[in-house]
Amino acid sequence: MVNDLVVEATDLHKEFQRDAFQVIALQDVQLTIQRGEFVAFMGPSGSGKSTLLYLIAAIDRPTRGRVEVLGRDILQLKERAVADWRNENIGFIFQTFNLIPVLTARENVELPLLLTHLSRQERAEHAATALGLVGLSDRMDHYPRQLSGGQEQRVAIARAIVSDPSIILADEPTGDLDAQSAQEILTILSRLNRDHGKTILMVTHDPHAARHASKIRYLEKGQLLPEGSPQPE
Amino acid sequence: MFRDTLGLALKNALRNRRRTLLTVASISISLFLLGVLLSVYQAFYHQEGPPEQALRLVTRNRVSLTFSLPEYYEQQIRKVPGVRELVPTSWFGGVYIDNRPENFFPRFATDPERIFEVYKEFTVPPEQLQVFQSERTAAAVGKTLAERLSFKLGQRVTIKGDIYPMDLELTIRAIFESDVENQDFAMYFHRKYLEEGLPQSRRGMVGTFGILADSAEAVPRIAKQIDDLYRNSERQTKTETERAFQLSFVSMLGNVKVFLLSICGALVFTILLVAANTMGMSVRERITEIGVLRTLGFTSGRVLSMIVAEAVLISLAGGLLGCGLAWGASGFLRQSQLMLSGLSFSPPVFLISLSIALAIGILSSLVPALGATRLPITSALRHTG
Repeated sequence: MVNDLVVEATDLHKEFQRDAFQVIALQDVQLTIQRGEFVAFMGPSGSGKSTLLYLIAAIDRPTRGRVEVLGRDILQLKERAVADWRNENIGFIFQTFNLIPVLTARENVELPLLLTHLSRQERAEHAATALGLVGLSDRMDHYPRQLSGGQEQRVAIARAIVSDPSIILADEPTGDLDAQSAQEILTILSRLNRDHGKTILMVTHDPHAARHASKIRYLEKGQLLPEGSPQPE
Repeated sequence: MFRDTLGLALKNALRNRRRTLLTVASISISLFLLGVLLSVYQAFYHQEGPPEQALRLVTRNRVSLTFSLPEYYEQQIRKVPGVRELVPTSWFGGVYIDNRPENFFPRFATDPERIFEVYKEFTVPPEQLQVFQSERTAAAVGKTLAERLSFKLGQRVTIKGDIYPMDLELTIRAIFESDVENQDFAMYFHRKYLEEGLPQSRRGMVGTFGILADSAEAVPRIAKQIDDLYRNSERQTKTETERAFQLSFVSMLGNVKVFLLSICGALVFTILLVAANTMGMSVRERITEIGVLRTLGFTSGRVLSMIVAEAVLISLAGGLLGCGLAWGASGFLRQSQLMLSGLSFSPPVFLISLSIALAIGILSSLVPALGATRLPITSALRHTG
């Protein structure tokens, strides 16, 4: 089972300065995620959900503690190495889609592949496959402004999976979507988890969205509540 | 990878087309002005003369060009060791048809036997030269001048005197050419003809002596020896190389070198500010995108190079357009004779202008790009701008 551990966070602590105040975002978090899990992190605003995701993606660094992802101590990696590592192993989905407006859907999805050694032709094929998986084969040459919010988020998912990462981190992926689009996104994420074995860590406020996960973890005031804890009031 | 970076940079450059077009336009206009000014600077200070020019000196009155020298100086100057040949010339001035600029051209009274000996880069058909030398009212005109004013062999030309109290009735007997652009935009006629028409009191004077030295090494010594000859005379001389003589006209305008370089510097600084402002705005609008790119695995260096490439593309587009305009304007000014005859937008000026455009692109984007790429990814992602 040791090999199936994809995330192991030990005493993870994050503080930052906001104006004159010292804010504790995460407090001595202990977390393990097994390969193939779909974990939803819930909690009120400011509880540290997104910070936890950023630390696992090595987008941010903890004040203290240790994070091992896929067996690597990511805090030991230098900027270039961590960028390469993130490109290979992490797919990130944002609440506000964050597509590049001057690029078509296909070009947006190809972005992570620009950092690989794939040829132009191979990149196009991979992007087409990823867009096919999210049901947007017929929208490949559309610009973000020509797509609906749900379609934009599907492009963002295609971008997150195009380099075939082991872990997908989704920060409120349905937060900006209507109910129907949100359901489509959650269905895609469930399918990626179930059919493609992707480990998914999703931050959400929405209990309905969280129900698609195999496990729900709650955070409160920077503390990760024990597994099986009920949703705090 | 380079092609992909360039492709992304191009797409980003075209993101806000109106802003990009305005920036390209402002850079191109500035580079156009800079190109013309650099061309003027080059024409004044770095223009290559014909090889023969290195052997030539000009002797004039020490006080001013408007004062003349006695023609008997010629015999004494000729004895200075190293002087191979010399020719007296006097600026006639005068008016051809009317005072409009298109009818203006330089007219010199000279010695027809020796002018083509001193100015060896002038080529003239031998039969025409013979007629020019033998006929007292003959004139030789340069090919460029002849083409501009449609002068033909045998044509009679009247020049109304202004500096000199006489009119010239000349017949064009020779058309000479020169390898040096626009050097053949002049007319020469017999000094004897001029002398005959002058009152006795004004005869026997010469504007300048053009001197051909034996070797380039002898030139400084000849200049010193000639001026030493007349150090205690009533009409002292100033002898200098032909190039220095030409530059003395420029110096009459004041410190043109500092003036031109100051304007060039101000122009470059202004373009830099305009470009930096544009790139600053462009980068600020995209900080979240920069955060996204870095989340996807793009390093700070890669993002930096994309932003710099974008700025370089914009400034090079402006630079190329400006260089094209400067090239056209220099050609127009040269053809129209409104400015320096040697004015040309040369390859060195093109390279300098383009290098300045390149430097502006890099410098204008470096500060905003460094600021944006050094921002922590989390701050970039949260940026609202």
